[in-house]
Parts: sequence; C-alpha cells; structure tokens
Amino acid sequence: MKPILLENLYIKVNKNNLNQKLRYNDGGNVHMDFHGATNTTIEFIINKYGIDTMNDIFKKVGNDVYKDIKDHIKKGNIKMLAKHWQHFFDRENADYNISINDEEIILTVNRCTAYEHVRKLVGNVSPNFCDQTIKTNEALAEDTPYEIKTEILGEAACRQTIRKRA
Amino acid sequence: MIPSDHFTRFYNEVFKFLEDQGEEHLEAYWLEISKNQEKHTLKLFKEKGLKGMYEYWDHIRIEENCDMDLKLDDEKLELRMNVCPSLSKVLDNDAEPMKRYCDHCAGWIGPLIDKVDHHLVYDVIDRNKPQCVVKIFKDKEKAIEEEKNAKLLMGWPKKRK
Repeated sequence: MKPILLENLYIKVNKNNLNQKLRYNDGGNVHMDFHGATNTTIEFIINKYGIDTMNDIFKKVGNDVYKDIKDHIKKGNIKMLAKHWQHFFDRENADYNISINDEEIILTVNRCTAYEHVRKLVGNVSPNFCDQTIKTNEALAEDTPYEIKTEILGEAACRQTIRKRA
Repeated sequence: MIPSDHFTRFYNEVFKFLEDQGEEHLEAYWLEISKNQEKHTLKLFKEKGLKGMYEYWDHIRIEENCDMDLKLDDEKLELRMNVCPSLSKVLDNDAEPMKRYCDHCAGWIGPLIDKVDHHLVYDVIDRNKPQCVVKIFKDKEKAIEEEKNAKLLMGWPKKRK
C-alpha cells in the first residue's frame, strides 16, 4: 500500500480561497524601515527592562491590538488568521505558503522580508527579533481552543501552525 | 511578524508601558529612536541642510502614505500633515491609544534637528486629531518668533533654549 503524502490532505491557500474581512486591511505603500525600529525597540526594552517586559508588551499586542483575530479564533474561525498572514506577507513580498485542512493551518515562511530588511539596515538582527511572532502568536491563542506553534527553521524562516489543542 | 503596517500600534503599546514608568523612560526611548533615525538622515541633513530634510520627508510622504504638503524656501522647511497615517492607525485600533502619542514625533525629530544646528517648531495643534504643522528654520530667532503662533507646541528631550 502506498503511503499517503501529508501534503495531499491540505489545500494551498491563494488569494481566491480565503474570503475573510480583515479588521486592519492596510493598502498603499509599505514602509519596511519600521522593522528596523521594531528591532531597535526590542533591544532597548530587553536591555533596560528585561525579556519578560518585552514579552508582556507582545502579549498586549496579541490580546488587544489583534483582539478581532483572537475573537474569531475563540469562535473557531481560524481562517481569519490565515487571511491576516496572507494579506501582510503578500504586502511585504515574502516567500511563503499557507496550507489548510479541517484540523489546522500551516504557514511556512521560506524568506521573511522583515528579517532580511533589518539585516540589511543594521547588520545584526536582535536574537529576540522573532519573539514578536512567537509571543504575539502565544497571546492570540491563549484562552482559545487553539494553540499556535512557531518553529524557527533558520535565519528568516519559520513555520507557524494553528491547530486545536489536544 | 508584526507587519510594518502595524508598527505604530506596537509603538503605541511600548509608549503606554514607558509612560507608566515615568517621563524620563519615555524620553530615553525617543532618544534611542532618534539615534536609530540618524543612520538614515544625519549625513543627508548635515550635507544638504533644509534640502536634505525635504528629500527625506518627501520619501516618507510617499512610503508612509501621508497626506502631507511640503514647502521649502531659503529659510525654512514646512511640513503640513493633513492626515497623519501614524496617529490615524493608533486611533483606529482595538487597543487603547496612548493619550500623548503625538509627543514621540518631536521626541525623536527635535534632538536630530538640534544636532544639525537647525531649529524645530512643532505644532501638534490637537493630540486627538491626525494633523500637525512642523517648521524647521535655519535661523533661531525666526523659530522663536514662530513658536508664538503654535496652538500646541511640542518640546523634546534637552531642548536647546
């Protein structure tokens, strides 16, 4: 018997198969230098107040700024998060793909343009730069039936998976 | 990733935390941002003066989607922000806006303009409205005179008297 490839069970997300209305639906030009300011901020806060403070701020971003996405996750609509990923990774011209099935959604970022832009701007990216993703994701999933796992696959690459808690 | 489109909402959360720690904490952060911005601007401002500042903010006007008028003459640069995208996003936010969000702008621009021996007059007009008028003068006396016309004049860390 042939093994079933996991890939076959997923649908690749494209612009036409995620019909969700985003709370923050930015358009126009993109100012990538803001990622440099995020990097500076992460270094400043961690050096002065410690990593727990930085993580608390990311937690507020996940809980408060992204309240709308979180509310959708609580109600079981995890496609809103996929739409958010799709919209903003497209805007930032990242190399990524999103796979979706009934149980989970997987975002694979092969080339994170935010990370690459900071490396170009300042040379050394903060070792905590990706905490903005890890900690904000954790807060988004907290007190919902879902978990979001963020795996760093290397420089400027990660996999983010949202699935129902076991 | 917090998208670059959402940086200002992240910024807003950082400001609220720092404001709770005290004014000097906010000012230290603005100075850090100012130092960061020097990397893009200091050489340009030093070498080209007001013309360099015009070039920088014209680029920002386009890239940050600002509704902003820029006017340059021999003695000053004037930026008239009709709709500020930064405050607009902070106000259009599920998280609470920091009441003094606008203060950060003079907080980082002021020290930078001081460094290149120009003189900033920053009129926020109203902290709840996404508009402001920024004037940068070559001549200190003209800046002091202009300050009298401001509706809500902003200061910044270590403002030169």
